[in-house]
Amino acid sequence: MDFVAPKIALSGIAPEIALAATALLVLLADAFIGDRPRTLRPEHGSARPGSGILGNRWHLPLLSLIGFGAAVYLALDAWDRVDATGATTQFSGMIAVDGFSVFVKITLAVFGALTILLGHEYLVRRDLEEGEFFALVLFSVAGMMLMASSADLIVTFLALETFSIALYVLVGYQRSRLDGQEAAMKYFLLGAFSSTFFLLGIALVFGATGSTNLYGEGGITSFLATTPAADLSLLVLGAGLLIVGLGFKVAAVPFHMWTPDAYQGAPSPVTGFMAAGSKLAGFAALLRLLDVVLFPLRWDWRPLVIGIAVVTMIVGSILAVVQDDIKRMLAYSSIAHAGFVFTAVIATNDRGISGALFYLATYGLTIVGAFAIVAVLGGPEERRTRVNDFRGLFAAHPLLAGILTLLMLSLAGVPITSGFVAKLVVFGAAVEAGYTWVVVVGAIASAIAAFFYLRILVVMYMVDAEVAEEPKAVMGPLSIGVIGLSAAATLVLGLFWSPLIELAEKATFFAGP
Amino acid sequence: MPEGGTYFGQYVTIGIFALVGVVLVLGTLQLAKLVAPNVPDTDKYTTYESGIDPIGSGWAQSNVRYYIFALLFVVFDVEAVFLFPWAIVFERFGTQAFVEMVIFIGILAIALLYAAKKKVLEWQ
Amino acid sequence: MVDTWQLVVFWALFAMMGVSALRVVTSSNVVHAALYLVVTLMGAAALYVLLLAEFVAWVQVLVYVGAIIVLMLFGLMLTRAPIGKGMFDNDQRLVAAVTAGALFGVTTWIIVDAFEGQKITLSKATGIRAESIGDVIFSSFVLPFEVISMLLLAALIGAVVIARRD
Repeated sequence: MDFVAPKIALSGIAPEIALAATALLVLLADAFIGDRPRTLRPEHGSARPGSGILGNRWHLPLLSLIGFGAAVYLALDAWDRVDATGATTQFSGMIAVDGFSVFVKITLAVFGALTILLGHEYLVRRDLEEGEFFALVLFSVAGMMLMASSADLIVTFLALETFSIALYVLVGYQRSRLDGQEAAMKYFLLGAFSSTFFLLGIALVFGATGSTNLYGEGGITSFLATTPAADLSLLVLGAGLLIVGLGFKVAAVPFHMWTPDAYQGAPSPVTGFMAAGSKLAGFAALLRLLDVVLFPLRWDWRPLVIGIAVVTMIVGSILAVVQDDIKRMLAYSSIAHAGFVFTAVIATNDRGISGALFYLATYGLTIVGAFAIVAVLGGPEERRTRVNDFRGLFAAHPLLAGILTLLMLSLAGVPITSGFVAKLVVFGAAVEAGYTWVVVVGAIASAIAAFFYLRILVVMYMVDAEVAEEPKAVMGPLSIGVIGLSAAATLVLGLFWSPLIELAEKATFFAGP
Repeated sequence: MPEGGTYFGQYVTIGIFALVGVVLVLGTLQLAKLVAPNVPDTDKYTTYESGIDPIGSGWAQSNVRYYIFALLFVVFDVEAVFLFPWAIVFERFGTQAFVEMVIFIGILAIALLYAAKKKVLEWQ
Repeated sequence: MVDTWQLVVFWALFAMMGVSALRVVTSSNVVHAALYLVVTLMGAAALYVLLLAEFVAWVQVLVYVGAIIVLMLFGLMLTRAPIGKGMFDNDQRLVAAVTAGALFGVTTWIIVDAFEGQKITLSKATGIRAESIGDVIFSSFVLPFEVISMLLLAALIGAVVIARRD
């Protein structure tokens, strides 16, 4: 037989393999070691830091964290190889091994690890099972990572589905909450809908180019290089549908309808994870697709993306102003932030790509902390998430109020926070590419957005005699640690941004054909 | 008999069998309609419940736990679909195809093991 | 050239699928609608056979007719809505018709545009064999193949989370 087995190099997806293997281990450990006796489970609110609440069932979160650590290690190892030998593809051109994917993977692993820490405390306090939660977080991070390094639309679709399915379930994880079930249902239906758009887009791209591969021989890149740009209408239409499908995942207007409900109904650690990870994964795929593979077609897709960017920034900011629930408000704010990242996508230059990566990394670190604070203040079923429930927070928990202030200022883009630097970078990239008017729209949207962040701050510092119930934070060492880490990252990256930006700039080398 | 060689020849056989199956069922039903006496009576339309008058509708909502069985069926159905081409190329691909399929089935086996250990596969 | 009898079978399948597809959307009983869908999908499988895509046809039968319909019927049994007449209609028929029509138009245009009248001839003696599909799956498409198992596993965990009792 003349069949030659391809030499399978794994460094490109080693982090994903590590996470998937860890997820399987978590499942087996959970199934075999069994559940902790229910009587030992502390009730919500009765926990004292350092007591039984966190000392009882460490093995699953610890295992998950080791998985994330291994993923980071393997990603760094892959980065060394990319530095040494240049960007390549693996698995018959299915996987791109480049700095871009490695940067995204490390960031995603950090988001995932923070989610595990928050989730552990959240679930133990609410007496919910943990094994599936950790496994699903691990699976979804693996899917998101695969999305970042996928060099074939089929793999992109499967990665998208893997992390989406895990997220649908995580959104409705607390089954006692009716709004959580509703949120999961809406997210699932609209997500499935968006997947069909993505799939149809793949079909059209395949029809136009005869391939789903991005870089390989006869792939889309080489098709664009060798075929005169005469009959590309089908490809442009397909690309449009791919943008629609990914637009759902990053919560861009007009594909944002699921966002407020899903963000509100999901357990807050999951909401933070969705805001940070789902956006990063979606934009990673968008950046690779639009700014690299379809770069020759940029004059065709750019009008559509500019439209999405402008509408997303404006609609997200304006609708956030009228929200009464802080989780819904942060959901609309996350929509607006997707719009800001889109301004970096339309720049189609290296500064735009590194800027988008920096933006998503810092936004993710900030938003995870913000939702962690919502989680510790929300109560067992997260009923205390209205803006007015934060009344008097400064009096009750001055440090927490201070950290929330910092995070809100960062989301608003105020100087000395990471959010300011991030906005500066993406807007700078768009100006450099000649889209100053888009940046002006972005600045107006930021100004509108500042209003609702300030609204929370005002309510928080108000000393009011009519406080019905003082905000009460229920938090253990894990929540405190994550919130502190998020605050530290927000502040430090706001002051010393250059190391991360340099890393992001290193990350713009895509695997070529 | 139409031309087309072995490929279509086989499917003509299948088509004939399918046609015979449909005709047999429909024909029998029509025959019954023709020869059976037709005496309509409202009592004949009630659900039979051991002589007791039926209460409520015949519709019962089934437990959501049965959904797992449906999904397990789908999962292993998809696996079976991949087994066919695998079995054909297995001889040529050798160890490589074997390892690939072992990973695939192994992951699904862990899923089954997990579900069994979690006691979601028990009826009651 | 396409044989006459091939055309006859095609149009017979077309008639069968058209009627049952219409019944899927017009039937007031959802279980009947699901069963009409079985007929439509079986027709599609027969079309694949006619197009010499034997393996795809059997996948269609196994996965769609077998698994997906089972899942749908389970879904119907699990929902509270009584299976009966008139429960599933709403006032969006026109929107649905326009959407479906537009999708049909776009798909048709794409297929016509993409192939531009070019004819593909295949060996009628063997058809497209499962072997050639296996060749691709187990060499260049190994990664998607393994990712599918992770996807199925994630779905199964999801079902366990949703369906287990507390």
